[in-house]
Amino acid sequence: MWVYLRRRLLLTIPTLLGVSALTFSMIHLAPGDPVAIMLGGEFAASGRDMGRLRAELGLDQPVPVQFARYLARAARGDLGASIRSRRPVAAEIRDRFPPTFELTVAAMAVAVSAGVLTGTIAATARSPAVDSATMGVALLGLSMPTFWSGLLLILLFSLKLGWLPITATGLRALILPAVTLAMPAGAVLARMTRSSLLEVLDQDYVRTARATGVAERLVIFRHALKNAFIPILTIIALQFGGLLAGAVIVESVFARPGLGRLAVNAILSRDFPLMQGIVLFTAVIYVFVNLIVDCSYAVLDPRIRYQ
Amino acid sequence: MRMAFWSRTALRMGGIGLALALALVAVSAPPAPGQPRPGGELVVAIGQEPDTLDPQKTSTAVTGLISRYLGDTLVTKDLKGNYVPALARSWKISPDGLTWTFELTDGVRFHDGTVLTADAVKASIDRALAPETRSPIAGALFGPVESVRATGPRTLVVKLKQPFAPFLDNLTDPRAMAVSPAAVQRLGAGFGRQPAGTGPWRFAEWRSADRIILARNPDYRWGPGHVHDGPVYLERVIFRIIPEDAAQVVAFERGEVLMLTAPVTDVKRLEQMKRFTFFRFLRKGVGLFMEFNTRREPFADVRVRRGLNHALEKRSILEIALAGLGEVAHGPLPPSIWGYWEGIKDYTPAYSPARARQLLAEAGWTPGAGGVLHRDGRPFRFTLYLAPIDTWRRSAQIVQSQLRAHGIQMEIQTFEFGTLLAKLRAGEQQANFMGYTYTSPDIVYLWFHSSNIGTGLAHSHFKDERLDQMIVESRTSTDPRRRLALYQDIQKYIVDRALWVPLWTNYNYIALQPAVKGAKVHPDGFVVLNDTYLQP
Repeated sequence: MWVYLRRRLLLTIPTLLGVSALTFSMIHLAPGDPVAIMLGGEFAASGRDMGRLRAELGLDQPVPVQFARYLARAARGDLGASIRSRRPVAAEIRDRFPPTFELTVAAMAVAVSAGVLTGTIAATARSPAVDSATMGVALLGLSMPTFWSGLLLILLFSLKLGWLPITATGLRALILPAVTLAMPAGAVLARMTRSSLLEVLDQDYVRTARATGVAERLVIFRHALKNAFIPILTIIALQFGGLLAGAVIVESVFARPGLGRLAVNAILSRDFPLMQGIVLFTAVIYVFVNLIVDCSYAVLDPRIRYQ
Repeated sequence: MRMAFWSRTALRMGGIGLALALALVAVSAPPAPGQPRPGGELVVAIGQEPDTLDPQKTSTAVTGLISRYLGDTLVTKDLKGNYVPALARSWKISPDGLTWTFELTDGVRFHDGTVLTADAVKASIDRALAPETRSPIAGALFGPVESVRATGPRTLVVKLKQPFAPFLDNLTDPRAMAVSPAAVQRLGAGFGRQPAGTGPWRFAEWRSADRIILARNPDYRWGPGHVHDGPVYLERVIFRIIPEDAAQVVAFERGEVLMLTAPVTDVKRLEQMKRFTFFRFLRKGVGLFMEFNTRREPFADVRVRRGLNHALEKRSILEIALAGLGEVAHGPLPPSIWGYWEGIKDYTPAYSPARARQLLAEAGWTPGAGGVLHRDGRPFRFTLYLAPIDTWRRSAQIVQSQLRAHGIQMEIQTFEFGTLLAKLRAGEQQANFMGYTYTSPDIVYLWFHSSNIGTGLAHSHFKDERLDQMIVESRTSTDPRRRLALYQDIQKYIVDRALWVPLWTNYNYIALQPAVKGAKVHPDGFVVLNDTYLQP
């Protein structure tokens, strides 16, 4: 287990380096002079301003030097300063990550519980009607864009029924955005659970378990679902990235102060250091979520450790 | 020029004891309905987060709005638009219009406790003008300042290099408010997140992407004459940042938000509910106009530009794109800005397909295959640049279909606002949509003076000595009648050259919950909250 974990940890190093190189090159790949783009808002930039900003961002140095400096600083947690707010990027991210973390975790909980439950019902339902109905709902959840489903939920639960607030904070204000964000992920999980479970339910050991008189609920939840869970887990990890991306839209619709809205504002105001910082931070989170999932494979299926 | 003096301070100081006594009475016996009562929170929805709350460093309109409640200016305007004393209890102008002497109001303190002196106001103005402040708007408001001197503890003398007619009006802009030099010094770059002015509310908290909270200034006794003496009633004003229009409206309908700038799409529905109070006023500025780049074909020819002015039927654009919630625009100034010439309505080219055809034919554009206009074998085709604003997009689609009927093919291309402005400055466009909000007719300087080509807002790239001359004179003349005549000439001149097709100016709708009492709308397009209170 430890060998496996160490190998997986070592593998994150090249991944993170690659991610850093990509985010670093963002500023150089964007067409035009980044400094001119950054200053090119409503008011013309003077040559002096451009020189100052270029020096401030270290853009007057050769690119390899810039990259080395960027890496060295990023390793120390120094992601530069936001152009718009003049605050350290790390501080901006630290302030804005908790609401997004809260939202993604809540959405993940909703997606996993609703998705796995719906998928299990669809796979084990004796009637094709139930199967079609649950999968139809899943398809709907998958195809509705979140900005639209979010607004529909607001209209229904906040305005018509008056159950849930929009601008408040706390747990009640988390329900609607979490459900909105969870819909596509939950739908994918439901479909995955169904197909994965159907496959496992055909296996010999399930038939054996049934033949020995094990209760059906136990067969499904203890024997079948545990074995069906490896592909589901992969999807969960993949969906986590989707949730972080979806937060950009959901946070705008529900006026939540999170990382997604920080990213949107950074893009709109061409705040390159902030954009780079958010992308790098999100990528690191993503890499570590995948690491955790990889480790949980090993827990679920001991064979994976020895491969 | 209106001069004014006031010295109600003594009266007000005597009033404090009385106010305290009244406050004690208020605890035991609640005021009768209809009586202002202190306390409560007013939640205001805003769609955009300020870049900074430093009035001298901001380039966003929303910071200007919030600054109205955080700070005071030397001079302000009452509800009829007259210039009235604020931080300056009086002012004098030398006959040559170059020396402005302000006598400051006594007893004013900044929110950080420091006293407002002539030195402090000088430091504040100097900071706005200093190149290192890189002020996008505030610096320009003060215009051609040569020097600012404090000649006494309460006497401030501003010398201008040349007469600057918009000076007095510019002094009423919230971004020209006095900021505390002590707080600026102490906080440095952090001042923008924790500003200190002298206004009726002081800054309390800014939660990024969530809300900005202002708290009542208990020491406030220097409000202008058109509001009540003494501190304001509302304990807190909370600006809730809600980017999505639909979410803003639902939050308002649920009562979570008490004041809302209603989006065009919801105005009629909210009005029909008959639950809310509405303020309606015409935007101070032209809401939408089509601008031609006179340096690029096909719009280098004035006959083509005039042709398009005759070709567009503006009423239906207004009705469809804006649900009729506005007025058709005729020239570079709207009726809501001083200097607007009433005659422009009849002077501007009227909708006339025949006249449009004739002018375009004179310019060489004649119908060819499929009814499309051609010249030298090439079809009449151009691209309109615009920003992703709903009402602009809808208007563009109608303009597109109207022009198609005239044999003109128009493509629509959308850019994020900052990018759009950069492209327009560089002159990449053939034509574009634009709109503005401003309180004075001096806006024509920004749009049409050739010194703003390539750097400012002169997107028509039209260099014309006569026009420049008229605009400069309109800024330096201090005779209001002469200025009115000049603005009339400028409006005619711009319409003659057909630099724009002015399309519409929208009404702004501000909706209030029924519990919000005593709110007043200011002619400069914001709600005066000093007398506002909440009725339970």
